[in-house]
Amino acid sequence: MTTIGDRELVERYTGVALDHTNKDFYRGLLQHELRLSRCAECGWWHHRPKPICPRCWSKDVRATAVSGRGVIHLAIFLHQGPPAPGVDYSAGPHPVVTVELEEQTGLRFTSTVVDAGNVAIVIGTPVELSWIERDGRPFPVFRLRSAAA
Amino acid sequence: MIGRANPVKDRVAFASAATTGFRRDESEATPESLALDACIAAIQAAGLGPAAINGLIGADAEYMQSALGLPHLTYWNGPGIPFLSSVANGVNAVHSGAADVVLAYHSAYRTPIFSRAAANDPFRSMSLGTFGSFAHRGADGFGPDTVTGAVGYTAWASRYLHEYGANREAFGAIAINGRSNALGNPAAVLHDPLTMDDYLSARMIRWPLGLLDMEISVDGADACIITTVERARDLALPPVLVHACTQGMLAQNEEDQSPSLREHGQHVVVESLRAKSDLWLDDVDVLLPYDGFSFIALSWIENLGWCDPGQGAAFIADQWDPAGNRILIGGRVPVNPHGGSLSEGGTQGSGHVREAIHQLQGLCGARQVPGATTALVTTGGFFKNAQGCVLRSDW
Repeated sequence: MTTIGDRELVERYTGVALDHTNKDFYRGLLQHELRLSRCAECGWWHHRPKPICPRCWSKDVRATAVSGRGVIHLAIFLHQGPPAPGVDYSAGPHPVVTVELEEQTGLRFTSTVVDAGNVAIVIGTPVELSWIERDGRPFPVFRLRSAAA
Repeated sequence: MIGRANPVKDRVAFASAATTGFRRDESEATPESLALDACIAAIQAAGLGPAAINGLIGADAEYMQSALGLPHLTYWNGPGIPFLSSVANGVNAVHSGAADVVLAYHSAYRTPIFSRAAANDPFRSMSLGTFGSFAHRGADGFGPDTVTGAVGYTAWASRYLHEYGANREAFGAIAINGRSNALGNPAAVLHDPLTMDDYLSARMIRWPLGLLDMEISVDGADACIITTVERARDLALPPVLVHACTQGMLAQNEEDQSPSLREHGQHVVVESLRAKSDLWLDDVDVLLPYDGFSFIALSWIENLGWCDPGQGAAFIADQWDPAGNRILIGGRVPVNPHGGSLSEGGTQGSGHVREAIHQLQGLCGARQVPGATTALVTTGGFFKNAQGCVLRSDW
């Protein structure tokens, strides 16, 4: 896996507020890995990225790949919303879900669900990470686990 | 840990409050002109003049001092949203002696994002309004695929329906209550009665919340005067004492990381208020829960302990006053008698505070709660801005 340099990273994410704390989260996305912040000392995960562990104050926090498996915790459907490539509100409400990841109770990541009808996108449903392209970049999304099996 | 000390209890008071009233038609107002109108009305209602004001809390205090010609300020600070942040700031300033008489204000202003009439006004095209630029901002560069910001309430509303097997009528009752109350408030922007059918057939925006679950964008402002109880007693109107005032926030304050429906900022506020206040639900004559979204007010009612979690709809049905088509807890306590953010106008809590003050001063005319002496105001939501205060008369 090639490493993406800092300058290339910033250029690929024009308009997004990248900094030294969140850079490895975004660098992971470009390499199709969802890397959330994990304390190398106590093992505690957190999101969004912070320079210290909120549990033990260690500064040894590392962007660490998650399995991407989890369960839908919150689920909403946007009948209108901000424009985004590939999102067509006129075709039907756009799902947005917050997924509780299996790594830790309360560790959650929010994105959309692909390849599923809205009626199947229900709180409590198991999902796994998948990837689409948006704005020319890999974008992390979820897929229902039963459908992906 | 949540502290119990409350040395400011009943030492600081509101001397007055005032509003411009709220509108959503075309207007040449600016956020500053609205705030100035409300400030002048609040100063005059207290029987004060500009020289008495030496503390100022709100947006662009420097401009406001200059425009109002307040000769000397010894304390000023930026706005807090919702408005109880500004109130807490002013109360603390008076209690510490940083200022003797504080003027706190807040204006609501429609921007093109939220209002068609505003979009037709070329002078509003550059306005960021009350909320600045964070409205509709796609957090993390994730466009629509986020629950950061106001969307967070929609997201947790979905969880509420899931966990408690509730339906949207639970939120609709809050909207109908607000509208029925607004009918009696000349300052309110909406005066058409609302039915559950109207609510359920309104345009869906972000399921499970639709158009009538969301505060209405308005132009208007509120202002109030905060000073010591002793000083307030010498002024034109009956003082309204700040009995307890708090903010509340949890470590996990990001919208999608909030622990649960039973553990967020509202619970910190409730625990803090219960520790600091001698007055509680049985003492309350008027309840003013924030309703920037209907779901927030429903949550306040549950989290304050009026009923068990998830039982809000049943509680409201039980406390419904058919004659007024509104909530009347125990046949006595109205909820947001001014109409709230949903129907008076979206003021980020300044309307709730102003109404509480006016109710305890006996200034509410036809909607006056007879003999009201205690008000509970809980503004803000779950994540970064929950707040509450108990206000009482100078009995």
